[in-house]
Amino acid sequence: MYDKKVVRRRRAALAVLVGLSLALLTVYFGESTGGALHAIQRGAQTAFAPIESGLSKVLKPFRDIAGWTGDVVHAKGENKRLRTENAQLRAQAAQGQVATRDNEQFRALLGLPKKAGYPASAKPVTARVIARSPTLWYSTVDIDKGSSDGVRMNQPVVTGNGLAGKITSVTGGNARVTLITDGSSAVSAEVVPLGASGIVTPQVGNPNDLLLDYIERGRDIVKGQTVVTSGFTSSKLESLFPKGIPIGRVTRVEPGELELYQRVHIQPFADLRRMDYVQVLTGTSGNRSRVVSAR
Amino acid sequence: MIVTPGAIVRLGVLALVTVLLDISGFSGIHVLGGTADLVPLLVGAVALYGGALAGAGTGFATGLLLDLLLGQSLGLSSLVLTLVGYWVGSYRELRDSGHGLLPLVVGAAASVGYVVGIAIVSFMLETNSSVSVLALRSMLLTIFLNTLIAMPFFILVRRVLRPVLVVDPLERRRRRRTVAGESGPIGLRGLEIGR
Repeated sequence: MYDKKVVRRRRAALAVLVGLSLALLTVYFGESTGGALHAIQRGAQTAFAPIESGLSKVLKPFRDIAGWTGDVVHAKGENKRLRTENAQLRAQAAQGQVATRDNEQFRALLGLPKKAGYPASAKPVTARVIARSPTLWYSTVDIDKGSSDGVRMNQPVVTGNGLAGKITSVTGGNARVTLITDGSSAVSAEVVPLGASGIVTPQVGNPNDLLLDYIERGRDIVKGQTVVTSGFTSSKLESLFPKGIPIGRVTRVEPGELELYQRVHIQPFADLRRMDYVQVLTGTSGNRSRVVSAR
Repeated sequence: MIVTPGAIVRLGVLALVTVLLDISGFSGIHVLGGTADLVPLLVGAVALYGGALAGAGTGFATGLLLDLLLGQSLGLSSLVLTLVGYWVGSYRELRDSGHGLLPLVVGAAASVGYVVGIAIVSFMLETNSSVSVLALRSMLLTIFLNTLIAMPFFILVRRVLRPVLVVDPLERRRRRRTVAGESGPIGLRGLEIGR
């Protein structure tokens, strides 16, 4: 059907394109975040941000309709679960009121901020999500606030419900957030009120299930307990995330038969797939941390 | 496909609009817990109507744009989409590409190639954490949703590309059918003659 010359030329073109892709991958992995390809990527991000922002606004009604349909389907099961939870919470509320009064007095004494989970120095900057990664292997979103709004690398990002991720790339007017469900994420966390601490890692493909690893087997962790960032500090290392930001609720505990540690499954508080607005905790220690908690 | 500046502009606009719609709109619409992904459909459609070279070129450009805008490892999506485009284009050149339901098959196949390819490359290069079984469900849902929207999407892409196509597979098929009834000596046209 096609002569050999055409086929040869086509194969040569394929080889060039594949070779170019491999070369790009090699250079990209080899260079630092300040390298040329990363700079081009940031440039493209800046250039297209206004278009992404506009499109995101225009398409929001369609996203909401799809979300609403899904909500109706899940509402029945959710209602049953919430009724049970409500009964438990009502019992806890009475205890909570006493604790809150005590807590307010302690906060006043210690000069801590009023809002739980926010470090004293945090200046939350509210941003809109303008783009999301369509593949499940990358859990990132782009937001419409950048360095001109005080956003810096590694600052924590939260939703109204809990921790969402951290800033991994910033330009003047926008920034990229790597979510806690991204394959590269790891957050130091602790179970309250026990104080048992470990590392929260994601399970790629399941944004509703995070794993809290490295919890010693003896610690008595039960379903329903809350997991927050531990914000550890030692002489040389400091967590990127301040202490006390809610991450999620314990759903299951797997005691490893032969292992030193038990594995705790957590459902994140933040609905990371459907968030439209986030807050970047600017003014936190994130940008001076050298280590861990992520990537 | 005739490689002219006009054709390149058409392909460029198609790629840009598709990627922007994908990351700003479709990636946020969850149906049954999964999302549709327009990018492999675009590459599959261009390859089906334009051939292997157009498919591979569009795959490379679209992948590069996607990697640039999403901050993914540069070259990752390009690599996978180039191969998907070439593969679909080669298939088209060996078989009858004028069948009306072909967009469904090509859409599904391109989505399978893309989803599996990205999974393999990402897993080899970057993913350090465990992978849930639900990842498989999410991949299957993307393929399913893509197959559902393949037909209207392919029609749209064909309409945009039609002026620059050397051979429109559907048009050729239609003409073949018409010609079958109208060819032959003038006096015999319109008569059913066994062939």
